[in-house]
Amino acid sequence: MPATEHQQSFLGRISIRRNQVTAMDGNHEQELEDLELFQRHTGDRFADLLSLPDDSPFSGETFLSISWLRKLVDVLLCCEAEFKALLIMGRDPSQIPKPPLDRLLIDFMERTVKVLDICNAVSGGVDSIRQCQKLAEIVVSALEQKPIGDGQVRRARKALGALMSALTTDDKENNHSRYAERTWSFGRRGSNSGGNHKDRATHGSFRSSSMVVAKNWSAAKQIQSMCSNLTVPRGGESTGLAQPVYIMSTVMVFVMWALVAAIPCQERSGLSTHFQIPKQFGWAHSIIGMQEKIGEEWKKKEKKGSAGLLEEMQKMEKLGQSLIEFADGFQFPAEAEKLEEVAAQVAELAEICQRMEEGLIPLQQQIRELFHRIVRSRTEILDLLDNGKASQPII
Amino acid sequence: MPGCQSMTTTYEGEQHVIAAAQHILKVLGENKSLTDDFRRVLTELDSHLSAMTIITESKRRGFAEVEEQLKCAERKVTRWESNPSLIWDSGPTEASEYIQAVNEIHTVMETLGGLSMNDHGRPKELAFRAQCVQQIAMSRLEEELYHILVQHKQSFELKNISFPSRVDFVYDESFVSVEDEIINDTSQRDNSGRESNEYTVDLIDPLLIPDIKSIASVMFASGYDREFCEAFIGNRKDALDEHLSNLEIQKLSIDDVLKLEWDALSCEIKKWVWAVKIIIRVYLASEKRFCNQILGDFGSHDSYCFVEISRASIFYLLNFGEAIAMGPYNPEKLFRFLDMYEVLADLHLDMEGLFSEVANAFVMSEFHDLLRRLGDSASAAFLNFRNAIALDSSMHPFPRGEIHHLTRYVMNYIKTLTAYCDTLNVLLKDQDVDDPNPVFETDNGQDICTSAFSPLGCHLRSITSALEANLIRRSKLYKDGSLEHIFLMNNIHYMVQKVKGSELRLFFGDEWIRKHNGKLQQHATSYERATWSFVVSLLRDDGRTSLKERCRRFSNAFDDVYKIQTRWRIPDLHLREDLQISTSQKVIPAYRAFLGINSRNGSDKYIKYTSDDMEKMLLDLFAGSSMSPRNSRSNSHKW
Repeated sequence: MPATEHQQSFLGRISIRRNQVTAMDGNHEQELEDLELFQRHTGDRFADLLSLPDDSPFSGETFLSISWLRKLVDVLLCCEAEFKALLIMGRDPSQIPKPPLDRLLIDFMERTVKVLDICNAVSGGVDSIRQCQKLAEIVVSALEQKPIGDGQVRRARKALGALMSALTTDDKENNHSRYAERTWSFGRRGSNSGGNHKDRATHGSFRSSSMVVAKNWSAAKQIQSMCSNLTVPRGGESTGLAQPVYIMSTVMVFVMWALVAAIPCQERSGLSTHFQIPKQFGWAHSIIGMQEKIGEEWKKKEKKGSAGLLEEMQKMEKLGQSLIEFADGFQFPAEAEKLEEVAAQVAELAEICQRMEEGLIPLQQQIRELFHRIVRSRTEILDLLDNGKASQPII
Repeated sequence: MPGCQSMTTTYEGEQHVIAAAQHILKVLGENKSLTDDFRRVLTELDSHLSAMTIITESKRRGFAEVEEQLKCAERKVTRWESNPSLIWDSGPTEASEYIQAVNEIHTVMETLGGLSMNDHGRPKELAFRAQCVQQIAMSRLEEELYHILVQHKQSFELKNISFPSRVDFVYDESFVSVEDEIINDTSQRDNSGRESNEYTVDLIDPLLIPDIKSIASVMFASGYDREFCEAFIGNRKDALDEHLSNLEIQKLSIDDVLKLEWDALSCEIKKWVWAVKIIIRVYLASEKRFCNQILGDFGSHDSYCFVEISRASIFYLLNFGEAIAMGPYNPEKLFRFLDMYEVLADLHLDMEGLFSEVANAFVMSEFHDLLRRLGDSASAAFLNFRNAIALDSSMHPFPRGEIHHLTRYVMNYIKTLTAYCDTLNVLLKDQDVDDPNPVFETDNGQDICTSAFSPLGCHLRSITSALEANLIRRSKLYKDGSLEHIFLMNNIHYMVQKVKGSELRLFFGDEWIRKHNGKLQQHATSYERATWSFVVSLLRDDGRTSLKERCRRFSNAFDDVYKIQTRWRIPDLHLREDLQISTSQKVIPAYRAFLGINSRNGSDKYIKYTSDDMEKMLLDLFAGSSMSPRNSRSNSHKW
């Protein structure tokens, strides 16, 4: 389903709903119906995401691929728009600042602030993936040459070292990679260097990723604190606005969690500790399904150390590993069979680069759009809380 | 070598020639004698053959030359591999020799590349060897580049870059006390408009630019443009990060920013305003120039590199602005919002210069968004300021009827606002305001008219009228009606003085001042009536009260007023004197008349004060020092 389709159908729904709202103002039935619709739409949207074809590697639609993540962000944008309509449209503002909704909304806003920081961190992570893309492009252009000679293999090997280092950088210890040593030792004068250029050995063609977020900022902690006061509405709350606030919060937490797992991000230890989503909700089934799937992947990742679960990065890592083996064992002239195998891998790497070239900037822009959308909604909700208060009689 | 190409005629053609030659040999073997024609053809063939031999010879000699050329370049390149020092540190000759060697390798490869790949053997072997040497050289150049960029980085002294700076308005959000002395003169503000692009500096020693450029040239020519750009971007990005931290910009998350105490936040904002200006106007302009100097000859690489270098930092700076613009819009934040808005508005053209390419439209759109949001935040804070004044209240009367802190705060606040008048006129243009003192065109002077009619003028008058309403509410808290008037006189007088003595005059207009002077006069009259009409009335002979009793009542009343009103305070000496004089003019003539009428009646023994005493005592009023008639004047009296 193309990304815009969600929005189109959604806008259609809003305009219908707007008429209904004016016709049946203050109707409790209407509110329940809206809530039910919101739940159903949310469930449907995530079910679509979960059911994307998983087996065709070149469709570009694979789970945790760039285009899948773009759909994921789209889903969040749609849910957010519907949530806001539900919260604001046709509502008497004086309802908003009353307990328990006021407290719930204040918690919600704190979560949105954390979403904003995660958006920025993830956007920085996309930058570092683009850097991987640049390194992979060097590998491709070196190994695409025919016939392959020592010089180009060495050129590719150098870029591969930097690439693998970038792909496997463990975010816990900044820039610490199991490939790091090999990469840096590529600077040959590393050990015998004189004082005048002692830092020379520390330089590879790998750009040190500049800090995009605050020094002690931790993506995992942000996710944890977003969940900390997220509780299922009970009793009377479960029919009112508490329910959509809970759904929206859960959706936000899940999408942020998935983005942080997929894209390089500062400090993610403990990310695998699941936040609990109760199984009784229909809308949450697909989210729970994806949560389990990503959680498993994450556990594997934690063991071997990798910068992110993004499908393209995982593939790039696998190809990179194999190409490094080829490069390290390369002797001229290479066997034809081996060369064919390498040519196929290089073609695949080139294809991934192409996907990154096409998808990363739009993904980044979409994340920025999400950022601005959340800022706007936050302002609107704050206004509601303030105006609602102001319209209450002063005691 | 065009001859080489002709050597590689098609195999089929060669087979024909061989077949033909074999046929000729066969014919020659069969015939002992040759016809002239036949001999001529053979001679031609022979000369052809010898010419072709020459061609193959030259080819062989060519290979030898190429091989020698490569070997020579290879020696130069590999010699440096075992040398621990840097080529560019070893002198210009070494550096240019190395570049030349790399160029030679490139020439060799181009020469060899012209040969068919079907041609196995030496050319191909040489090509591979050249590739290897080239790779070694490229790696080396990358390292050299990195070290030139690190070692010849120039830090510029921030002190040498002086932008006209704005002096701060110091204020206290809790409306406590704002002393007039700490309000700085805002006339020093930067109103000079846009400075020209004179601020670019050399981020790298300019002497090294040809060297860096030569490295770029050979790396680009050898197809290592990606490697060059990655190394270049990585290094320059680090340098920019370092510069940001030199500007004391510490990266804060939005969460952090929203949780900061106001003082700390205000401090971060000031650093930001300064840093944004330095980074955009000076640093990035210089970086862009540097990228262009190095990469300007290589297509769009210079703008690609520049954006890659600067994007993360620009976004960080914009995100801080976003966090600030998220509110809340407390009045005390107004000046910081305005500072931020103005610095970005001022940098607008610089930004367009930096990110003019279509591909960077997103940077500009983020920039415009933030500018708009900061403008909205400033308007919101401005309107909140008026509301805060309207809502500010107290249960207790302000002691001694003095100038209220709120009045000082508001007047100093709006006085400082005039320094931002151009910006505020733009931002407030569409904000409706209820102007209680509209200005009519009767005011003289073109300037006065424009400022007074401006949106800011209307809003400022609306603010002071909110302040007056607030003060009137507060004045009702006094139990003593006279003090109510003293309080309002003090405060209105302060407002008028502030307006008259500053730029505010232009925004309020003379009519406002006249009107408020009139109010002062009214309150003075009301005060005199409230306090003194009764006291003076006690002197009047109503035919029922004895002279002795009248004198006693008058003295008591006067003493009471004296006791109470010496505690009240009019801080402005002129205002105090004016009121004392006009009070004297009301009281003393009446008292003199009373004394004159009654002197014959032997009233002396009932008279407590002479008119001179009383005149002097009136000068003690509103001094704010508690006095009783006895301990003040009694010592100077005969009793």
